[in-house]
Amino acid sequence: MFSDIPVDVSPMHEGERIRAANMYVELAGPKSIGAELVQVDESVEDGKYEVIGPELAEMTKGEIYPFCIKINIKGEKLEKELEGVIERRNHDLCNYVQGFMHLNQRDQIWCRVSTEAIDAGFKLVDLAKAIGILFKEEFPIIEEISVTILTQKEEVNDFVANAKEIYSLRDERARELSDEDVDVFYGCTMCQSFAPTHMCVVTPDRTALCGAINWFDCRASAKMDPDGSIFEIEKGEVLEDVKGEYANVNNIISQKTQGETEKVYLHSVFEYPHTSCGCFEAVAFYIPELDGIGIVNRDFGGETPLGIPFSSMAGQCSGGKQVEGFTGLSLEYMKSPKFLQADGAYERIVWLPSEVKQSLEGFIPEDIFDKIPTEEDATNISDVKSYLLEKNHPILERIDKLSDDVEDELHEEEPSEKVPIAEVTEPNQEFIPAASIPEMTMPISGGVKIIFKNAKIYAEKVIIKKK
Amino acid sequence: MIIAVSGKGGTGKTLVSSILVKLLSKTGKDLLVIDADPDSNMPETLGLYPHKTVGDVREDLKKDITDGNIPAGMNKWDILDYKIMESIVETPDFDLLMMGRPEGSGCYCAVNNMLRKIIENVSSNYDFIVIDTEAGLEHLSRRTTQSVDTMLVVSDSSKRGLQTASRVGTLAKDLEISFKNLYLILNRVKSENKEELIIKAKETAIELVGIIPDDKDIAEFDLKGRPLIQLPDDSKPVIAVKKILDKILDNG
Repeated sequence: MFSDIPVDVSPMHEGERIRAANMYVELAGPKSIGAELVQVDESVEDGKYEVIGPELAEMTKGEIYPFCIKINIKGEKLEKELEGVIERRNHDLCNYVQGFMHLNQRDQIWCRVSTEAIDAGFKLVDLAKAIGILFKEEFPIIEEISVTILTQKEEVNDFVANAKEIYSLRDERARELSDEDVDVFYGCTMCQSFAPTHMCVVTPDRTALCGAINWFDCRASAKMDPDGSIFEIEKGEVLEDVKGEYANVNNIISQKTQGETEKVYLHSVFEYPHTSCGCFEAVAFYIPELDGIGIVNRDFGGETPLGIPFSSMAGQCSGGKQVEGFTGLSLEYMKSPKFLQADGAYERIVWLPSEVKQSLEGFIPEDIFDKIPTEEDATNISDVKSYLLEKNHPILERIDKLSDDVEDELHEEEPSEKVPIAEVTEPNQEFIPAASIPEMTMPISGGVKIIFKNAKIYAEKVIIKKK
Repeated sequence: MIIAVSGKGGTGKTLVSSILVKLLSKTGKDLLVIDADPDSNMPETLGLYPHKTVGDVREDLKKDITDGNIPAGMNKWDILDYKIMESIVETPDFDLLMMGRPEGSGCYCAVNNMLRKIIENVSSNYDFIVIDTEAGLEHLSRRTTQSVDTMLVVSDSSKRGLQTASRVGTLAKDLEISFKNLYLILNRVKSENKEELIIKAKETAIELVGIIPDDKDIAEFDLKGRPLIQLPDDSKPVIAVKKILDKILDNG
């Protein structure tokens, strides 16, 4: 099949790097420009492989040249939406060619041709041909293909400019990719070295807690390193649409956490929140007094309205523990349309560090944006409450209901509008949660063991004395 | 073949590494030098300028993620792969990759995992890899030097230098890291206490593979800031390391 190509073409050459010392020429890369683009084109001339601009033989050894790979395809079942996926394979397929190095993708490609390949008589048109054959073999839905290689500066410039527009259109679509559009999610157990019972579930709408990897990265990882700690999860049956509960996710998480966690809701901090490793960029925490949720990020050094900083909060809910009312999350997830959707999304958020809030402009619904206080507006629960009242935050409806219930129970006088809320905590008195621990065993002797489960202990002062 | 050079700071670890680079780069094989000691001055001893490190690549990526500069349809594996390739200093004789400082605040398991895999992959393209490792023993406990074939531990004639060397030996054993070869090199040895040092070296339980005599050339190079890689072929340290290398290659 590749008999007239003077170098070997096989997957065994993947990962081949060409050192500057062994290189004939460099194409595209950090010191020049270039791009690759796959497009569906009804007028494609099948089997046309050509080079526009200088061939390798006309280049000078050790020099760097602009370089583009233009791939046009046609097929009955081919849709425009598939272009990106097919283009993604160009990196691997180019690397099948011995003596040809290809890094990265899109307008960030970086290629080199080895001196050995040149000595063997390798030409760029051979590369075009190899790619053409490999693509057809890889994707049977490609019925016709043509590959054009550009090495002339002016043409490359125009091509790159045009390609960039196409990439950004694709990115817009990628950003719109949602959990419903895919059949697989990914699990990541990279953090199990220190959180042995934690597994991250990564979906298009929910990036990993560390913020470092999204669904696309996981897809690449699972391919790069099939035995690695990122693996596919067949989405399977949807148990709870809004909360984000999936039968297969539950199964896999149970397996991968040694049964520690049996169930997760991807988009809620209540009941079965996603567990947290230790790497999370931010924590969402429930504030019972307000029936709202606050968020604090790792870089925020101050105290949250609960009276404790990020670090203490992280200590309480990390290590793979499932703690209702707390969930680690990435900053990117806060831009997701499914962000804590089961809990009311931003209508439920009652406090945010200002830095985070600014970064979310355009993602927090406009009518709520100004109603969420930051550390500049409030640093304790009663100030947060006053701010919410003043700005008429949608959470007030919930607090109203909450206090109505309390009032009903107490058979008190008729509740006057919003006064009871302001009176929940006494003025000038702040309660600091001394401990908020999912499970704590008190060290007591005498055959008795007291276990507090999900206890929150509030104390004005805690004194520990030696007897 | 991967050769790692370790030892207490200031014992001559970087001297041994640079002479190894000098000798191996003449073999015509592909050679990668990894500077894994943020406190060493590997680029200068090799006659190169400091360059972007793997640590810088990690910080840049972190920043790009925070600032939302990464296009939705691109994945971080490929971006890191590119950036690592970009951070390699390429010379006609050898390539140099600098690890830089370990990460700052925040946890980046995922990025570190990707980096490890990428560096593994890059490394597999070379015939020889020389790693100048951190002075401490952390590289052992973090198991970053697990696939090393030959571990060279450099010590000067100080007691602390030898203690560190001996600890490398026990730690490797405790952690069940099996190097094909684990050797001790004594550096800056004065002829008058050579015999005594050989006896002391036995106590480290690491096989002594060679002795580098105290040499005035080196003091002069250091004084003038001349790259150690330019030491003349007939200087005593180069001859001593050549013997050591021959032995490693015979056993490898």
